[in-house]
Amino acid sequence: MKRRDFLKFIGIGGVGAGAGFVLGKVSKPPGAKLIPYLIPPEDIVPGVATWYASACTQCGAGCGTLVRVMEGRAKKIEGNPDHPVNRGGLCAMGQSSVQALYNPDRITKPLKRKGPRGSGEYTEITWDEALKTLAGNLTELKSKNDADKLHLLTQPLSGTIDKLVRDFASAFGSSNYAHYGLFQRKNLAFANLSTMGSASVPHYDIENTKYLLSFGADFSSTWVSPVNYSNGYGKMRQGAGERGKLVQVEPRLSLTGANADEWVPAKPGTEALLALAIANTIVEKGLARDGAAWRGVLSRYKAKDVASICDVSAERIEAIAVEFARTRPSLAIAGDSVSSYENGIAGAIAVNILNQVAGNIGIAGGVMPNGDDLGGGKKIDFGRRISTLIAAMNADKVKTLIVYGANPVFTTPKAAKLEEALSKVPFIASFGSFMDETTAQADLILPAHTSLEDWGDDFPDPGVAAPVASIIQPAVGPVFDTKSLGDIFIELAKAVGGNAASKITAPNFAEYLKSSWKELYSRNREMAAGTLGFEDFWNKTLQNGGWWGPPRKRTATVSARASEHLTGGPARFEGEEGQYPFYLIPYAQTAYLDGRGANLPWLQELPDPMTSVVWGTWVEVNPKTAASLGLKEGDVVNVESPYGKISAPVYLYPGIRPDTVAVPIGQGHSHYGRYAKGRGANPIEILPYKEDPRSGEAALNSTRVRITRGGSGERLVKMEGSTKELGRGIVQTVSPAEFKRMKKEVV
Amino acid sequence: MSGFLERIAGKLKSYREPGYYTKLDHKWTMVIDLDKCNGCEACVVACYAENNLPVVGKEDCAKSRAFSWLRIERYVEGEYPDVKVKFIPVMCQQCMKAPCETGCPVYATYHNQDGLNVQVYNRCVGTFTCATYCTYDVRRFNWFTYKWPKPLEAQLNPDVSVREMGVMEKCTFCIQRIRSAKDKAKDEGKPVKDGDIKPACSQSCPTGAIYFGDLQDPESIVAKLAKSPRRYRLLEELNADPSVIYLKRVMGDGTTSHE
Repeated sequence: MKRRDFLKFIGIGGVGAGAGFVLGKVSKPPGAKLIPYLIPPEDIVPGVATWYASACTQCGAGCGTLVRVMEGRAKKIEGNPDHPVNRGGLCAMGQSSVQALYNPDRITKPLKRKGPRGSGEYTEITWDEALKTLAGNLTELKSKNDADKLHLLTQPLSGTIDKLVRDFASAFGSSNYAHYGLFQRKNLAFANLSTMGSASVPHYDIENTKYLLSFGADFSSTWVSPVNYSNGYGKMRQGAGERGKLVQVEPRLSLTGANADEWVPAKPGTEALLALAIANTIVEKGLARDGAAWRGVLSRYKAKDVASICDVSAERIEAIAVEFARTRPSLAIAGDSVSSYENGIAGAIAVNILNQVAGNIGIAGGVMPNGDDLGGGKKIDFGRRISTLIAAMNADKVKTLIVYGANPVFTTPKAAKLEEALSKVPFIASFGSFMDETTAQADLILPAHTSLEDWGDDFPDPGVAAPVASIIQPAVGPVFDTKSLGDIFIELAKAVGGNAASKITAPNFAEYLKSSWKELYSRNREMAAGTLGFEDFWNKTLQNGGWWGPPRKRTATVSARASEHLTGGPARFEGEEGQYPFYLIPYAQTAYLDGRGANLPWLQELPDPMTSVVWGTWVEVNPKTAASLGLKEGDVVNVESPYGKISAPVYLYPGIRPDTVAVPIGQGHSHYGRYAKGRGANPIEILPYKEDPRSGEAALNSTRVRITRGGSGERLVKMEGSTKELGRGIVQTVSPAEFKRMKKEVV
Repeated sequence: MSGFLERIAGKLKSYREPGYYTKLDHKWTMVIDLDKCNGCEACVVACYAENNLPVVGKEDCAKSRAFSWLRIERYVEGEYPDVKVKFIPVMCQQCMKAPCETGCPVYATYHNQDGLNVQVYNRCVGTFTCATYCTYDVRRFNWFTYKWPKPLEAQLNPDVSVREMGVMEKCTFCIQRIRSAKDKAKDEGKPVKDGDIKPACSQSCPTGAIYFGDLQDPESIVAKLAKSPRRYRLLEELNADPSVIYLKRVMGDGTTSHE
């Protein structure tokens, strides 16, 4: 029996057990009690693991998972080999979600604020009281005709839970339900909407491409769907076909850049110009597949003019352009470092134009547009953003704020004065599972389950150019006195009464989810094929971890209209060059992402892939720059922007431009549990409060800084000794030419 | 009766055949394609989760007491802007001529019938000899008995024992997974199939860079990959005969300086 079959077989048992959870029959972790053998729970055989197919919710990628459960406890999370997004792999953060489940700093019971706001003094209350308090507050709002002054702010939710929250808000009478997160890639979505007509991230077919030109997309560690892209990367390098080439354009060498064949350290803020100059060179040299429409627009971006602005030689631009156009298929992708500027969408649009000119759209090994085939994908609302919420709070238009998952207090610059605005909100309720910085401002906390205890579904965006719907099912019973997020909303709707109660009638979220899938099933003929009715389909779905259909062939054309969003010059940075000589690049780090991973001990102790630093924040400085400033590794420095300063130790990093410094995002928490609190520094604090005005995506790369010795940063602890091989031949290499001559291995 | 005696005689004779004592049931081998590995460290967390590795905290990390049985080493060549970075996952190489085994005064580390270099925690008295002899710096010592704050201990894998102060430990090639696959195969009366066993690192690897299997099975994927012209082993000149085979990374002009 193959491992895969074995898992499926075990999954059948899982269906019954899944139903058991709904009825609340499954035992909680046994604790002091022995497992009763007389009438054992059906999914517990001591010493034998049960596997549940589910989906990961640590980031937005939507990888399929298999959760290994023994004696009612989750032991390990692995990638689902059948799932089209991750095909068996799972990243560091996804695997750590079991430490979120069993985190010693989880909120274990509903809490009511006792001391002043932000003091962290709470009293434990019952769920009845908590729901009654919140429902009372909402009923009062309603009676004063202030229903629209209820604001809901969540992490980007998709699928059924998103629909439920949307239904709740609209039935209650509030139009203010917004998603917020640091890396929502709204710029990319906006660029795709204005060029290709769909506000979604397409599938980038890295697997089949032969020349990948990445503009700062760190797809190996944090960008959009890292496991899916990494899987493609492995096949691109050593798959059936010829080995693909990777060229990375970015000011700071990321993990992906470290794997690239060529690194192009363009000046920060000029990546869009570089992409357009490459496109223009392709058109000028007559190598374009769609040149005529673009000749006029692109003629402003001559390689020789752009070269000095980008700090990339004209010859190099031309060489890249020729290779990009001649190698078939090629693919350009726009990552965070091109789209984190105030005109961030320009970078993403420029890269779309480059793909259009080279003829890479709608082909295997190129850009494959996705469609929201199943109707459950993330709804990106460019108008609703943190700035509009802050404005509403300052205008006293927010009477009650419900927060879940989003942590704007941590991920918004101090310059936004969010905490001040929050103090004007009379009532804040959080459904968070952890005491993060935003939850710490709440008056009432109704802790939701973590994803391993909860029901849900996920419609991965970006998809894989095929319809995918994953199911999230509880692998274990609740560890603490928490509730399913969906159940909180359903019970709240009942308690509030009125429209909300008549619109949301399901007894619990598990039933709501099932009926939502029943509707999906009846709409979708492909789902029905080969099943014996809905119940059969539902059982199979729970067993497999979801449903996925065959790939869809789609194509799109980048419309010339998009060029209106292009801006002539490089991106703007705050701070005068004389006073603030360095560009600041705050970046998403493998383990912490936007800060959410910092409370998990495995991730704190995971050496950073590029520096091997653990348990802290560091400032990456080019060794030459450090020498000129008289700094050595480990020296604590102040990183000061016009908006404030943070301090952290220096790491000497040869993979960064001498005029740039980089600081990872994720540490510097003032709350968020024992592992995260009071550790390192948060570079977001010193950023200007800026966003791309069209998409609402935060402009992270928008300030210069100066570096001075001093400050109260912590010591630098790194796991590596020397980064030099010292002649030992540890990582041996062969040249691409030599590799071509070698006989291809059989795999 | 005579059949029985013949069997006994045959058995006794077989002991005298050359190579009997060095013959292995399996030769578990790992092949790591450095051209696929992108250094993302998913394998490192997988190893922590599977093998109950404790988290030691910042101060102990600074004293090189971190437990990672598997680490990603990175090497940087050149100066800006011509920087080349190379990654290599390094775990216990399960040497066939393991230096660590020769030193142990209590036979806590020995070679088993599967070609694995195993560690018996109950025998270990913590002399640190093996870690000193190890060529690859992969052995980890329990300086303390580490505790998991409640309820984190609920995650601990019951298939792997939790170690206490004074015990040396290291990568086992996920021997618990090997054992359970062999048990299952035995119950079914079949040999272990290629692909039945995946150590945690190999299972989690997003790029599919880590292969695992029996080198004695000529049809196994590792046996095929082991013939690759890109093959090499770490510090091969020291002649410890490691069971981890690396496939060279394709990069640059091939004339790396190994500075």
